[in-house]
Order: sequence, then structure tokens, then C-alpha cells
Amino acid sequence: MEVVESSSFAAKRNNPDYLSVDKVSKQFGGFTAVNNVSLTIKKGEIFALLGASGCGKSTLLRMLAGFEKPSSGDIYLQGDQINNLEPYQRPINMMFQSYALFPHMTVEQNLAFGLKQDKLDKSKIQKKIDEMLSLVQMEHLKARKPHQLSGGQQQRVALARSLIKEPKLLLLDEPMGALDKKLRARMQLEIVNIIESLGVTCVMVTHDQEEAMTMADRIAIMNAGEISQVGTPSEVYEQPNSRFTAEFIGSVNILEGVVKVDEPNYVTIHCNDTEADVYIGHGITCFEGQPVAVALRPEKVAISSYAPDQKYNYVTGVVKEIGYFGSHSVYHVELPSGKEMLVTALNDIRWGNERLTWGDTVWVHWDDNAAVVITE
Amino acid sequence: MTSSVSKLNKIFLAIGFFFLYVPMIVLIVYSFNGSERVNVWAGFSFKWYGELFRDEAIMSAVWVSVKLAFASASAAVVMGTLASLVLTRAGKFKGKTVFGGMVTAPLVMPEVITGLSLLLLFVGLANSIGWPEQRGFITIWIAHVTFCMAYVTVVVSSRLTEMDRSLEEAAMDLGATPLKTFLLITLPIISPALISGWLLAFTLSLDDLVIASFVSGPSSTTLPMIVFSSVRLGLSPKINALATIMILTVLIAAVISYWLVARNEKRQRKLSEISH
Amino acid sequence: MSRFNLKWLLILPPYIWLLLFFAVPFLIIFKISLSEAAIAQPPYTALFEYVNEQLTIHLNLGNYTWLFGDPLYFNAYMSSLKIAAISTVCCLLLGYPIAYGISRMSGSAQSLCLMLIILPSWTSFLIRVYAWMGILRNNGIINNIIMSLGLADEPIRLLNTEFAVYIGIVYTYIPFLILPLFANLVKLDNRYLEAAADLGAGPIKSFFTITLPLSKNGVIAGSLLVFIPVVGEFVIPELLGGSETLMIGKVLWGEFFGNRDWPVASTVAIIMLLILLVPILLFHRFQFKEMEDR
Repeated sequence: MEVVESSSFAAKRNNPDYLSVDKVSKQFGGFTAVNNVSLTIKKGEIFALLGASGCGKSTLLRMLAGFEKPSSGDIYLQGDQINNLEPYQRPINMMFQSYALFPHMTVEQNLAFGLKQDKLDKSKIQKKIDEMLSLVQMEHLKARKPHQLSGGQQQRVALARSLIKEPKLLLLDEPMGALDKKLRARMQLEIVNIIESLGVTCVMVTHDQEEAMTMADRIAIMNAGEISQVGTPSEVYEQPNSRFTAEFIGSVNILEGVVKVDEPNYVTIHCNDTEADVYIGHGITCFEGQPVAVALRPEKVAISSYAPDQKYNYVTGVVKEIGYFGSHSVYHVELPSGKEMLVTALNDIRWGNERLTWGDTVWVHWDDNAAVVITE
Repeated sequence: MTSSVSKLNKIFLAIGFFFLYVPMIVLIVYSFNGSERVNVWAGFSFKWYGELFRDEAIMSAVWVSVKLAFASASAAVVMGTLASLVLTRAGKFKGKTVFGGMVTAPLVMPEVITGLSLLLLFVGLANSIGWPEQRGFITIWIAHVTFCMAYVTVVVSSRLTEMDRSLEEAAMDLGATPLKTFLLITLPIISPALISGWLLAFTLSLDDLVIASFVSGPSSTTLPMIVFSSVRLGLSPKINALATIMILTVLIAAVISYWLVARNEKRQRKLSEISH
Repeated sequence: MSRFNLKWLLILPPYIWLLLFFAVPFLIIFKISLSEAAIAQPPYTALFEYVNEQLTIHLNLGNYTWLFGDPLYFNAYMSSLKIAAISTVCCLLLGYPIAYGISRMSGSAQSLCLMLIILPSWTSFLIRVYAWMGILRNNGIINNIIMSLGLADEPIRLLNTEFAVYIGIVYTYIPFLILPLFANLVKLDNRYLEAAADLGAGPIKSFFTITLPLSKNGVIAGSLLVFIPVVGEFVIPELLGGSETLMIGKVLWGEFFGNRDWPVASTVAIIMLLILLVPILLFHRFQFKEMEDR
């Protein structure tokens, strides 16, 4: 279910995966936009390609839509190879970042466009349009032209237009890119509800991790044309497999160290930044003396003005900066080594007297399961 | 800070418009002069308009020029649109640089060179393949299409590069073939550019003297050729009347189109206000 | 494969048209510039001839040596370049402030002014030149005003002078300069000027350090749109210029229609093309960048 290793044609044929991308690469001139990417997507899944701009996620999406052809590799939809189909031959529809609503057509005509290409009869087209308009709650605006609609309304029409042909695969290109922040949160849930109610399989592209985590069942994190990790939102957050993923999703403290003790049920790591060793309460595949990175999420460490009662997993430091966010604060703690560590603390007491302030000497500590060891 | 600058700007604009319009106003005023002598005012009269319409040579040249401009503009829009699509949508191909050069060079090529070179081509063709047997409407048409299509290409390709490419992709994504996408999406969206390209080509063709003089034959005389041979000899009140008609036609057309555009914009603004 | 064919179906019609009616004619001009004038139909000698089943080529460089030998041609080229250069500068001096002024206007005023600039060029070019004949004549409006004010006793000769040629060129070509310049200036973000003012630059300083450098492309494109065609201009020097106004377009016309010397006319054209080659290539670079797909 994760990254597919097998690639033989026969294996592909027997693969029950709904959509599979097999060792796909795309070069533009000398530039490799997508490098040997393999992915499988299950039926009914909402799958997000997440990455910074230029990471190749849009090129991959455009290859699924048919606007670009892979330089090498294959794309299968329900076992059929679709690499060489033109965009207009694929049972795949896309909601564009700019929505790409035809400016010279009304909402209704925009929805009818795709159905007319299939030469459906008029009554059937009208029936589908009416259903779709009521699904996205746009019945009252069906005679409007796109420029007479607000951003949120345009997005509903764009979504309706990409769903009306009942595509086997729905593609969303930066679905919230053109909306303001407040509207985003609402539309994210609304779009997911609509897609799930229809059971459509969906691949979306976004650079916004919150959006990917809210909307998608699984996320692929892309970097420099390659996939660095695939998993559910909690998997990629809690078990990053690489430093890149850990740093890309959320904020993280990375401590570098060397494995000191490697036992089947625990591991200790010596870090130069911490006076105490790091203790991991479970075994990992590594060897003694191996250099590793320890990833610690700021919300999984605690901060206090007194020494914790533990032998491992703590460090002292001085508060350098405090970011106050209302519900919580982020403390920037400078360690003796000069490294800065981020710690999040809930402000659960109003005007708490014990609140730390600049220049305080503090202890940062965490429990045995808080840290993730990255061995790459 | 900008008040002195904008004042200076207004002065320049005023000078510019004065410079542009006074000569035309003078022409119009003198076209209603009753006197034989162009510069002596002898009362308001429509006399020269009557003479103009009785002048068969001018009237038939008007007809030739209008037909020619219509045919040239229509063909130039087709060829220019094709050329714009080649430049903006066909990607890279062998010989694109040469093609680009042939599209832009006619914009600045001195007319005497274009005219002479085309004439020599027609003479050469007539000698080697026997066509064109006689120079006339067809040869002028070819010449006009060639230089007008360059202008159309500039107008249309600027609209095509501005256009959101994802509109065409969306149409294909929804199942429309490239040809259907062009006809149903691209063409309607660039139609304003096609119309202005056509109008531009029409006026350019209607206006051309030099190229037509080279490539025309004895049977076809265009309006600028008649006007030129007449004004070369000095001022002629009939030409004043002709000029007035041309200026007023353009003015009326401009006012109407301006009014249409303004009305359209106003309506759209109103509608979008309602929707928000 | 079908995609490939479709693409060439699109490319070939305009390509072939332009090759045949724009590129090939230049080769023919060049060919004829190497032949001799003759009293024949057409009036020049053949360059290639089959005599006794043998191809003989009559290369004749006489037209070129003739052109270089006669100072008339040299002077005509020089004077054309001078007139084109001076009129381009005049167009710029008058056109830049106008283009700038319009570009800083708001919506409806802007489109109205822009239309007022374009409007004259929709009427006949010939008529616009003709209009100045009436104004500049000895008993035209300007001289009437001067004499009625008592500034001069007898009419000043304005028509058929180089001055009249400049007036005519600036009058008819200025829209070609204003339009590309406007298109460039209208894209200039007002915030740059605000930032410059905020950082202490006065309006004149920010014009020379911000506006002018940023509008360089518009200035070049507009200037070339005036300069290149004006070098070969025929109608304006013919109608407004005097016998002493030498311009190469007029010379070419005279050689062709007057002397019926097609080879010399072709040679004049070829040399004019060579002179204009660099400006034309420069123009192409600027224009093509605008048109190509990004």
C-alpha cells in the first residue's frame, strides 16, 4: 500500500490498486521535475501531494490529467494504462487553481460543457446540472457569469463542473489557493463532504500542510521531484522517516547524536546539545556508534523552572524569546551548546504567577516516547 | 508632490491634442467653403460634396478600395490568427525564428521596399509561370494581406498570451478535442482582438498608397492613388469634402464603439455589485 | 503522429504565405539589383541565360558602383537617416509626456484619451498629410495669422521645406510611438513612485531614476516603429518637402516610376535594407519577446 516495489507488467495487472503511478519521471529540457515516482491510490481515497513550490507535485498532477506526458514510467487507472491518452480521452477531471471557469458562459453553460462533449441528450444534461447545482447549493445563481460570482461561489461552480461527468478520478490543484483564510477553513470541510458523499477518488496538490492534513486521507510529501514519505496525516506527523519530512511538517527540534546503547527494548543516544542522554523507550533498527538525529516536537516537551526528577531526557537552558499566541506560548530556549530549542506550553492558567520570563534558567524535559529517531 | 507634474502633463496633453486635431478641423471647415479658391472663405456650401459624388473616377475608386479593404482584412485576420497560434501555442519547431522574423519585419519595413519587392515577385512569376497575367485587384490583395497580417498577429497574439491557459486545459479536461476547444473557448475569448485586428487591417488597407502603386495594374485604381495624384497638383476642395466624410465616418464609428464599450462595462459593474 | 500533423497544418499556411510573399521577394530584388536596365518587358536583362545549352550568369555590379559613385545617393541616404533620427527625437519629446500623462489617468479618462490619440490614425494617412498642405501654404492659415498680426510683410515659405517634412512626420507617426510607450508605462506600478517619494526622491529625480529606466523597452520599441519606416518614407517628402529635400524613398520612387530603371531602384532598396538591418533586428528582438509564448 505504500511505495510500490514490484513493477512487472503482470504484477500491475493483478494489482487491485485503483490508481497507480509506476516509476514515472518527467524531464523538461535538462531539468528533472519528477524523478522516478511510484504511488498507489485506493478507490474512494482523498490523496494529497504536499510540497513546496517547484517540488514537482504540479507536474505529477498534470501528468495524471494528461497535460504532460511522462518521460518514462507508466500510469494505470483501474489496471488500464493511460499514459498516452489525451486529456480529453481520460475519465479524469480537474478543478483548476484559477478555477478556469469559461468567462463567456453562465454557470449552467459551464456545467453543461463537459456533458455536451459526451453528446448526452438535453433532458439528461439538464437533470444532471440540476442535481449538481443543488449539491453545491448554487441553484439560485445558475444564470450568472463567472465574474459576477464571489470567490467561494466560483469555487463551488468549479468543483461542480469537475464532478458532473462523474470522473473516475478527481484532481484538485491548490483547491484553496484563491480563497482568503477565513473562507478556506469552511470550504475545506465542505469540499471533503461533497467528495465523500459522492465517493469520488481524489488527488489534490497543495503547498499548505494544514490543508493537506484536514482534507486528505493520505499524504505524499514531495521534495525535489521525489516522494519522501507517504502516510496518513498522523503518520507523517508522528513518525517522520526523514529529517526533511520532520522539518517540513510542523516545527521540530532536531538534536544530533550517536547511539550509545542499543537494546531490544530501549535505546540511548548521546547528544552534544544535552547534558543527559536521550532515552527511547522502544527498540529501533540501528547499531551502536551510529550517528542519528532525534526529532522532538515542541508540544511534546515540557518546560519548568526546576530540575525534573529523571536521569535521561532533559536539558537546561535560558529563555531567549517568548512568542505569545493566546492559547499557548512558544519559548525559545538557548542550550549551553548555543543551539536553540522550541517549546510549546499551554497557557491554561489565567495570569499564572509561575509564568516564565526572559532570562530565566529552565529545564526542558520529555518522556520516553516523545522523541523520534531518524536513522537515514 | 505630483500637482506640478500633473499640471505639466495636462499642458502636454493639450498641446498634443491641439496638434492632432486642428489640421482636421481646418479641413472640415474648408470643405464647406463655397469658393473655388481653397483659402478664401465664400460662405457655407455643400457644393463640393455634390461635385465629389458626381466624380465617377473617385466613386469607382472608393468602391474598389472598400472591396479590397474588406477582402484583405478578412484574409489577414485568418492568416494573422493562424500565425498568432503558431507563435503562442505551437511550442518550439524548426524555423520558428525565421517565422518570427517574417511576422514582425513587415511592421517596420519601409513601404517602398515592400512594394518594389512584391512587384518584382509578380513580374517574375508572370514570366515564369504565366501568373498573374495582369496585375490588379488580386496582386494588391496579396500585398495587403501580407502586411496587414503582421498587425493582426501582434494584436491577436498579445491577447492569446494574456489569456489564462488553464481555460483551454479545462475544456480539454472536460472532453473537448483541440479543435473544439479552439472553436468553443479560445475563439470566443479572443474575439474582441479579432474584431480590432480586422478593423486595423481594414483601415491599413484602405489607407495604403505606396504598396498599391507598385503592385496595381492599369485596371485597378484605389482611392489613395486617386487622392494622391490629385493633391500632388495642389489643394482641391473635392478632396476636402472626401476627407471630411472619412473623418466623420471614423468619428461616428469611434463614438458608437466607445459608447457600446462604456455601456457594457457599466452593466457588468452593476451586475457584479449585486452579486457581492 | 496525428498531433504532429495537426501542428504543421497550423504552421504551414502562414509560413508558406510569408515565405512566398515576404521572404522570396527580397531575393528577387537582390537578383535584379545585379542585372542591367534594358528597354524590354520587363525592363532588365536576365541574370541567368541558357545559351547553347549552357547556363551563363550575367553578374553586373555596375548598379552598386554607380550608386557609390554618385554623391546624390549617398546624400539621400544620409539625409533620410538624419530626418528620421531628428523626427524620432521630436516624437519622443512630445510623445513621452503624453503617453506618461495618459498612463497615470484613471479608467474612463484614460480610455477616452487613448482613443483620441488613435482616432486620427484611423483616418487616411494621405488626408492627414494633405491637411498640412493647406495649413502651411503661402496663403494658408499660419501665414494668414502671421501677416494679419503684422509679424511679416510677405508670406514665409513653410510648405515644401524640410520643416514641413518634420511636421508631417511627427504628426502622422506620433501615435506609433505613444501606443507602445503607453502599453509599457501603464504597467508601471505606482508603488515604485510612492516608494521613491517615501525615500526622499522628488518628482523629477524619481522620473529619471525610476520611470525612465523602467520604460526603456517601450521607448526603444516606439522609437524604432517611427525611425525605420520614416527612413524609407515617400509620401511626406513628396507632398510637403521641397525639391531640395532629399529622401531615399523619393529617390527610389523616382528611379522606378520616373526613370523606369528597375535594377537601380532594386539596388537602392537593397542598400536601404542593409542600412536598416540592425534596427530591424533590434525591433524584432523587442517585439518577438512580447509575442512569444511564455
